[in-house]
Amino acid sequence: MVQYNFKKITVVPNGKDFIDIILSRTQRQTPTVVHKGYAISRLRQFYMRKVKYTQQNFHEKLSTIIDEFPRLDDIHPFYGDLLHVLYNKDHYKLALGQINTARNLISKIAKDYVKLLKYGDSLYRCKSLKVAALGRMCTVIKRIGPSLAYLEQIRQHMARLPSIDPNTRTMLICGYPNVGKSSFMNKITRADVDVQPYAFTTKSLFVGHTDYKYLRYQVIDTPGILDRPFEDRNIIEMCSITALAHLRAAVLFFLDISGSCGYSIAQQAALFHSIKSLFMNKPLIIVCNKTDLQPLDGISEEDRKLVMEMKAEAMKTVIGQGGEPTNEEGVLLTMSTLTEDGVIAVKNAACERLLNQRVELKMKSKKINDCLNRFHVALPKARDQKERPACIPQAVLEAKAKQAAEKEKRKTEKELEDENGGAGVYSASLRKNYILANDEWKEDTMPEILDGHNVYDFIDPDILLRLEELEREEGLRQAEEEGDDFEMDGQELSLEEQEALAEIRKKKSLLIQQHRMKKSTAESRPVVPRKFDTDRKFTTRRMGRQLSSLGLDPSLAISRARSKSRGRKRERSVDKREGDGRDAMDIDDNQASKKLRLRSTSRSRSLSRPPGEVIPGEGLKDSAQKIKAIKLAKKSVLKRNKNARRGEADRVIPTLKPKHLFSGKRSIGKTQRR
Amino acid sequence: MLKSVGHNFYTPFLSLFDQLVLGNCVLLVNLRRMRLEKCWFCSSTVYPGHGIQFVRNDAKIFHFCRSKCHKNFKMKRNPRKVKWTKAYRRLHGKDMTQDSTFEFERKRNRPERYDRNLAENTLKAIKKIDKIRSDRASDHIKNRLKTGKVQRQKEARKQLELGIHLVKAPLALAQDSSLCLPKIKDNVSQAQTEENQPMEE
Repeated sequence: MVQYNFKKITVVPNGKDFIDIILSRTQRQTPTVVHKGYAISRLRQFYMRKVKYTQQNFHEKLSTIIDEFPRLDDIHPFYGDLLHVLYNKDHYKLALGQINTARNLISKIAKDYVKLLKYGDSLYRCKSLKVAALGRMCTVIKRIGPSLAYLEQIRQHMARLPSIDPNTRTMLICGYPNVGKSSFMNKITRADVDVQPYAFTTKSLFVGHTDYKYLRYQVIDTPGILDRPFEDRNIIEMCSITALAHLRAAVLFFLDISGSCGYSIAQQAALFHSIKSLFMNKPLIIVCNKTDLQPLDGISEEDRKLVMEMKAEAMKTVIGQGGEPTNEEGVLLTMSTLTEDGVIAVKNAACERLLNQRVELKMKSKKINDCLNRFHVALPKARDQKERPACIPQAVLEAKAKQAAEKEKRKTEKELEDENGGAGVYSASLRKNYILANDEWKEDTMPEILDGHNVYDFIDPDILLRLEELEREEGLRQAEEEGDDFEMDGQELSLEEQEALAEIRKKKSLLIQQHRMKKSTAESRPVVPRKFDTDRKFTTRRMGRQLSSLGLDPSLAISRARSKSRGRKRERSVDKREGDGRDAMDIDDNQASKKLRLRSTSRSRSLSRPPGEVIPGEGLKDSAQKIKAIKLAKKSVLKRNKNARRGEADRVIPTLKPKHLFSGKRSIGKTQRR
Repeated sequence: MLKSVGHNFYTPFLSLFDQLVLGNCVLLVNLRRMRLEKCWFCSSTVYPGHGIQFVRNDAKIFHFCRSKCHKNFKMKRNPRKVKWTKAYRRLHGKDMTQDSTFEFERKRNRPERYDRNLAENTLKAIKKIDKIRSDRASDHIKNRLKTGKVQRQKEARKQLELGIHLVKAPLALAQDSSLCLPKIKDNVSQAQTEENQPMEE
């Protein structure tokens, strides 16, 4: 509220600073670079902008000053008067007026120069116009420099004024200097006002706050007032006079009974009478202070008379308000701030008086009807003396009585716990109050889990019945199963059949394997005609074995095969020797055939062959070539074998990180790299 | 360990809650007691102290028996499509789905007053029911596999018929109709023995 808070006014810079601020801002915020080669309109624009910008800033700042300083007519008369007392209304208004004119002057200057700039024809001319404009504006500000300084001082002082709310409950403390006003203030509030033996220690108003009946009261401490004609009063006294005049407050007039302030009771009484006009419509309390030095009863007669006169005056204020003149004690009070005797009483009395007065006023105002219901509670009037208490049914009363008795009789669990060792030692048996069919079961622990099932899921009162049913069903089902099984058994294979099947499968898989090997190596395998038979696969022995494995008698086939391979000579000799029509192919006769066999030229070559011997069909030219080929083959394999590689594609590393290479110190040498 | 992802909450499976006594009776309620749950993914039982419990924002609770199931769930895999889960097996008829033994195990919410005899009977019954159930399940699987067996036997018979020539020459078969396999006779050794014989003589 601007009314009593002047702390929010912005700082008023002094003349020089003001100019500096504005000009530097202009320099920073407007473009700075211009060349004479630019278009003339651009040049003009450039300088016009500067002038306008400066003018705007001045205008802004001066406007804020004018707006923020309070207008003395718009604020509460207390503050208006206070400011007048402190700063002189006329000077204040003058200063603000000067600021206003300065603002208008600057606007005019700017307008004129902008008009001129519109017709500037060169950079130099525009520049000088701008310089002139800014210069004149700055001169204006320089001229109002003293006003600015004055306003700054006022602002600083205003910010330090105590924030007094003129409309709330206030208590005003007044009296001669040194009577004990500030000490009283210190006693009832948290304000820390200077208390010194010399007069005019308090030079301005001080505000403190105190509470009474849940309400907050402002307590204003004033500087002392001397008994002088009104015109002669200095500024300090005028402050208190202003406060007295404008604030609707309870007034506590302090009286120093002992006279230790340096002024007699007569002088103080005289002061009282001179300012009693200010006490109109304000609850007045006369407080006699410093009773520890001089009790009230011990003063002289004249002084007493004076005091009674003052009291009468004070009573008038009470009566003047239309209240009952019963409360005499609330008008004249004694206390001592040193011994704190009666301080609270004084405060209470003052607060009470003020509160009553305010309430009365409010009651008389028009707005009261809206909230009258909040003050007044209507109660029915008793029509006769009959007592009508509340009705409680008898049963409820009995039950209540019983409950109360029970509470006392029963032993609580907590007591039990305490008996048996306290919280950590005793654990309450939660099971003892269980209601079960058989009391022996109270301590039973029931398993929760069995064989991967939750037991609770199976609990059922008729589980036995259901189980019986289930078992019956199962019995039936199993009987059926057996019947089915019997049918199935007929189709199985016998042991012999199984063996035969296994053999068949084995043979088949072998054939398939061989075929696959042949197929995969078909391109790289040399095709040797059968008659050379490098693998020596096609022997009669083998044939015999194979045939016999199939269950056939191979002897005939073998002999036939052998006879076929006999040389020509042998054939003819056989013919010659046995010419009795026996068939040349008949080799059943063992004796003859044995000889023939021994001398058969088709006998397969002996198993050992010289290394370089070329077998026709192999693909090599002569034995030299074959030997070379063998050598090359061996050479290519040598390195691999040394590295224990099984073949070309074997890239297996048995240990990726052999320990002896990756750890350990060397006996000699460095381990810089591994 | 408690892990919260966004607003969803994970709790370790074991909840440390005391027995609850309501009023003056003991209730056979599984209120905050140990309970075996079923893993949501693979349907195996989750014992206390194992697995993870995931509470989703819509307050649906998922139990997992191990991180395998949990990770599969996070990958948004449908257990009905993952071969090794019970859900898949039941859906595709590999395992028994409907049976009266399943009716016995039902999550009961109404508490029963404790009865020692009832508890005893229940425990015995669980064992029997278990046995019956597992018997039925294995029978189900056996039946399922029966058709395959029959087929395989037929195939084997056919193969035997067709491939017998690989192990026994038809000639030999004609002579000896039984399927006993012929022995390998090495004719060289035969000849040698024959040679030896006259020598010995």
